[in-house]
Amino acid sequence: MEVGQMQRRLVDYTKSLFMEGFLDSQFLQLQQLQDENNPDFVVEVVSLFFEDSEKLLNELTRALDQTNVEFKKVDAHVHQLKGSSSSIGAQRVKNACIAFRNFCEEQNTEACMRCLQQVKQEYYLVKNKLETMFRLEQQIVAAGGSIPIIEMSS
Amino acid sequence: MAEKVNETSSRCSEPSPALPSPMGTPLRKVFDRISGLAMTCKRNAVPPRRRIFHGDVEQEGFQHASTYCLSSYYSVFVARLAIMVMLAVLIGLLTILTWHFTKVYTTRSLNTLSSGLRLELLQRPMLRMWNVLNSTSEITTAQVKLSEYVIRRYSKATTQAEQVGLYEMMRDVTWALFSSNKALNAITISYRNGFVQAFHRDHRSNNTFYIYSDLVNYSISATGSYDVNMLTSHQGWDNESIHGNLSAIWYQEQLDPVTGEKIGKAKPVPPDDLINIAGLSQVPDGAASWHVAVSKHTDSLLLSAALPVLDPSNERIVAVVGVTTALYSVGQLMKELVEVHGGYIYLTTREGYLLATSTDAPLLTNTTKGPELMLAVDSEDPVVRMGARWLQKAYGNKLPPHHVVQVENAELDRQQYYIDLFFLNLKRLPMVGVIIIPRKNIMGKVDEMALKTLVLLISASLCILVIGCVCILILTNGVSKEMKLRAELISHLDARRKAEASSNYKSQFLANMSHELRTPMAAVIGLLDILICDDCLSNEQYATVTQIRKCSTALLRLLNNILDLSKVESGKLILEEAEFDLGRELEGLIDMFSVQCINHNVEAVLDLSDDIPKLVRGDSARVVQIFSNLISNSIKFTTSGHVILRGWCESSNMASDAGMFPSDQKKSRSTLNTKLKQNGNHMDSEKCNKVILWFEVDDTGCGIDPSKWETVFESFEQADPSTTRMHGGTGLGLCIVRTLINKMGGEIKVVKKNGPGTLMQLYLLLSTPEDGTEQHHQIDFVEHSVVVLLALHGSMGRFVMSQWLSKNRISPVEASEWNELTQTLRELFHTRGRNSGFNTHYSLSESSRDKLKSIEDVTNPLYIIVVDIGLLDSSTDIWKEQINFLEKFSSKAKFAWMLEHDTSNVIKMELRQKGHILMVNKPLYKAKMIHILEAVMKERNLELQKKSSNATRVTTREGDSHECLEIASTHFETCSSDDSDISELGDSNSTSSLHIGEQQEEKFVRCSTSNFQTKNCLVEFCHSEENNSWTEYMSNDRPTLNDMGDAKCVISRGPDRPSGSSGKEQRKPCPSKAMNEQKSLEGLRILLAEDTPVLQRVATIMLEKMGATVIAVGDGLQAVDALNCSLDIEEGGRKPSFQDGSPRFQTEICDSPPYDLILMDCQMPKMDGYEATKAIRKSEAGTRMHIPIVALTAHAMSSDEAKCLEVGMDAYLTKPIDYKLMVSTILSLTKRTP
Repeated sequence: MEVGQMQRRLVDYTKSLFMEGFLDSQFLQLQQLQDENNPDFVVEVVSLFFEDSEKLLNELTRALDQTNVEFKKVDAHVHQLKGSSSSIGAQRVKNACIAFRNFCEEQNTEACMRCLQQVKQEYYLVKNKLETMFRLEQQIVAAGGSIPIIEMSS
Repeated sequence: MAEKVNETSSRCSEPSPALPSPMGTPLRKVFDRISGLAMTCKRNAVPPRRRIFHGDVEQEGFQHASTYCLSSYYSVFVARLAIMVMLAVLIGLLTILTWHFTKVYTTRSLNTLSSGLRLELLQRPMLRMWNVLNSTSEITTAQVKLSEYVIRRYSKATTQAEQVGLYEMMRDVTWALFSSNKALNAITISYRNGFVQAFHRDHRSNNTFYIYSDLVNYSISATGSYDVNMLTSHQGWDNESIHGNLSAIWYQEQLDPVTGEKIGKAKPVPPDDLINIAGLSQVPDGAASWHVAVSKHTDSLLLSAALPVLDPSNERIVAVVGVTTALYSVGQLMKELVEVHGGYIYLTTREGYLLATSTDAPLLTNTTKGPELMLAVDSEDPVVRMGARWLQKAYGNKLPPHHVVQVENAELDRQQYYIDLFFLNLKRLPMVGVIIIPRKNIMGKVDEMALKTLVLLISASLCILVIGCVCILILTNGVSKEMKLRAELISHLDARRKAEASSNYKSQFLANMSHELRTPMAAVIGLLDILICDDCLSNEQYATVTQIRKCSTALLRLLNNILDLSKVESGKLILEEAEFDLGRELEGLIDMFSVQCINHNVEAVLDLSDDIPKLVRGDSARVVQIFSNLISNSIKFTTSGHVILRGWCESSNMASDAGMFPSDQKKSRSTLNTKLKQNGNHMDSEKCNKVILWFEVDDTGCGIDPSKWETVFESFEQADPSTTRMHGGTGLGLCIVRTLINKMGGEIKVVKKNGPGTLMQLYLLLSTPEDGTEQHHQIDFVEHSVVVLLALHGSMGRFVMSQWLSKNRISPVEASEWNELTQTLRELFHTRGRNSGFNTHYSLSESSRDKLKSIEDVTNPLYIIVVDIGLLDSSTDIWKEQINFLEKFSSKAKFAWMLEHDTSNVIKMELRQKGHILMVNKPLYKAKMIHILEAVMKERNLELQKKSSNATRVTTREGDSHECLEIASTHFETCSSDDSDISELGDSNSTSSLHIGEQQEEKFVRCSTSNFQTKNCLVEFCHSEENNSWTEYMSNDRPTLNDMGDAKCVISRGPDRPSGSSGKEQRKPCPSKAMNEQKSLEGLRILLAEDTPVLQRVATIMLEKMGATVIAVGDGLQAVDALNCSLDIEEGGRKPSFQDGSPRFQTEICDSPPYDLILMDCQMPKMDGYEATKAIRKSEAGTRMHIPIVALTAHAMSSDEAKCLEVGMDAYLTKPIDYKLMVSTILSLTKRTP
């Protein structure tokens, strides 16, 4: 595939991510932080996020499976997840986390389970999207092109 | 009688308690109802009243009260009804009782009276009867005695003649008796031999008759037989002898009633035809007999008595004497009585036969046997008949034992009668007297009166009732009206409360909304900033982005305004109470706005009087906001002229400056004074040193119509709607200003002004710190005899400045343009030098000349020439020549240059080369002037001290001055380029104290800069070598140095800095100019405590990109450990311990703590941020160190902020981390502390 075409695709794809609300300005900031000193900064952070999130999600699942749900612990986990997701700009995960925390405060197990599913779903969605994006970037780099700068249209 | 009355009263009082009993059920019901109503009345009427009284206080009651209010309507109605009913009952009872008592008393007394009377009445005919009986019996007895006497005399009569003589004698005696008693009806004597002698009186014809039997028939022969018969048997003398002797002829002779002489001839009559002759049969036992006889010819009743006449031996009845009396007189008496008294009286025998009545009804009935006595029950008179029947029915034949019967209210033929019965028990003739009197006759009047009284009473009571009801209606009408009004009031209050609540909701909604809107706006601005920093933008894109940035800022400012307003309105705004330097704040403000003013060709002038306290307590950010709003407003509407911010203190102003301001201020001041007096007690007790600071913002803009002077302070209000198109704006600014001023206990208003433009006057009530002794400039300029030549463009600023200088006894000389300046200079120096009138092409005005002349008198003056850079002609190259011209005077005077923000570097360089070191930025105000004066005087002193010093100094001074100048300009440019931001912050003073802090920090920078500026100037004169100066400062005055050094560092790192500063460059060996823009945190060591790896990484990269060194730890415990460890190391050996530490750290580790700053996440495992901070602060307790700690939280709630600050953190950042905000926060914190 031609480099230019791939670049356009990447730009479009990234834009669509923003448009659909998967990502927000924080992700842009992340990209801004990436420079020649830290060439893989975004990928690094995002993969950190993946690791962290998966760990947290597992723990959440376990915590909610128990008969006696420790809401304080769940809340702490969700809080952490919210912090990390907001840091990379995974907006929809963050929003789901906010809802999750509200239910945690209400100590509503059923709703928490629902929220957990939603968070998981959002997480996997954004993970897929980001991975796709990174793959595209890698392809471009491999093809010898430079990664285009994403402009916020909105 | 008294007893009777008592009795009647006691009997009378008996029924009164018993009175309700017949009416028991209805009356009880009424009472129950009334009492029930009264209860409900109390229950209903009282609570609302109580609620009304406390209604204003207890708001919660209103809803209940409104429901109560309705019921209170009913309760009033019911109460009214109840009172009426009670009144009616009362009056009715009174009426009935009155009527009853009067009636009962009268009836009783009358009854007693009448019963006595009736008995009396009855007794009179009885007595008459009794008399009649007595007289009859007496006459009979007398007749008998006389007869006995006469018969005894003639007992031995054997001859006819003797016999006749006896009869003659008897006739005379009897006549005598008969004539003596007129009431007698008849006296009869019947002899044994059947001879009858009788006198008879006919009352009707008033004739008297003598009746006797024929003597022929009673011959002697007969007499013989008579004797035999008499002797043989007693029984032979009976009625048969008389009746059987039917053939006997009786003669009747009429007599003269008086004399007894015979009037007529005797005529024969049949025996027993006229009168009853009492015979032997009537006296069978020889005793007297009584009976009521019926006359044969008249209807009247006769009472006849019979007595036997015995012979002397008392063995034989010789004759029978009968006396008959008419009962007619008794009836007559009765009639008379009845005529007087009315009613009916009758007498009966015991068996019930009528003896006499007061009526004309016949007493006899005609039967077949002739007239007979009539029973009373058969009487023809209806009343008598009915009375008799009633009595018979009531008592039968048994009479009551007391012989008296008194019956009241016997109803006969539908009429009430009194019936009284009296029983007279005579031996032979028991009699019963009955009197029947119609009730009407006795009680008629009484009953009538009672009826009339009742009617009168009822009508009167009805009248009273009606009047009472009307009165009640009228009286209670007021109450019900009041109730209505109160109900309305309550509903109004309720409505008002609702309206207030809804307005409050609105405010809250606005606050929330604007807060929500601010967040995305901040993001937009942040992103735009990032975008602007991007190098890849084309020029057009850059311009567009800049435009967007400006628009966003404007939008954000608007949002902030709304937020402010709604915050104030919803009462959430709390003013801070902190000391701040008011003058410095205002100077900063004027500095800021002057840039804008220069663009607008408007002069911004600050004119603060000297008596304004240096330090005041209050909310500096809000004060600055007030003035920035006012000034920006003024600038907006002023196209040319000036904007002056005047300030003075209340007390001193009264005396000294009164002439300076329009006279109508006095009025406002006097009102203020009264206000102060009112508040006096309160204030005295609270804070004794409150001051009133007056300010004026005076512009020469388009002005405000006087009719709008009040309304401009309303929200969304502009004086002229058309201005919105021209100038934009929402009209919130002045509203915020007024609410803020009011909140600070001040007032603002528009004041009439001479000339065009607007004059806003306001005062603030601020307290000064307790120990705040006012520090004015201590240097006495007078002794130096300073002359200042003000060569400034702006006439207003110059005027104000020269005023101030004159007041401080410094001679000012003014020049407004280049030619005037040169002229003045020549005048000043050349006259002094040559003492000749040097007239060039320009001539000075007379006043200036006079001034110059007066200056000439000053001995050895120190000249300071303040030159506006605008006086130089910078459009062409002429300015160089102008500078050269001025250079000639540099030996005689000190030059201070007023720079503009856009003064080109070429000019600055040139000036520097010429050795003009004193440069300040426009506008010129008091503080700057003082700095200039101080600097010049210090220099002069030094010069005086070191007159022998060499020329090398000039060169070094150049270098130093270079620095000094740079700092000033750099600072200024920072200000101007960040103008929008600063003004935004100044405008907003938003919820986050961080903003304020930041702002204050920036102010601090500015302040320290100005400090630094002057100090640096001082430094210059003191030391020749800069490095020496640094070292010396370090040893001498460490805190000052630190202050200065820090400020310097920060400033040199400023983003707009054109090139590295001298000090910095010498100390930092490897700065890259390309990275300078980004690396504002160069050299800082930051400890990052964050558990989330993602955030940790992001923050690390962010900070590193800005040149900071980051040490990241995973939790609070590690952070504390890291800090302690480094502290230990520091204390132990003061060795460099960090591999990644820069050389600078290695050398300077002993001077500074291991970390310049800690970024602390609040929620971490093991030990959270709060705990960690507490631990760190605890470990610091003994030392002088204070590591700034910035919290990182995701909560973004103000309560978190409070918690953060409480545990000892210095600032507060929310996740996701905003790049700019973080930088500014970190800078502000690292600047402050060493």
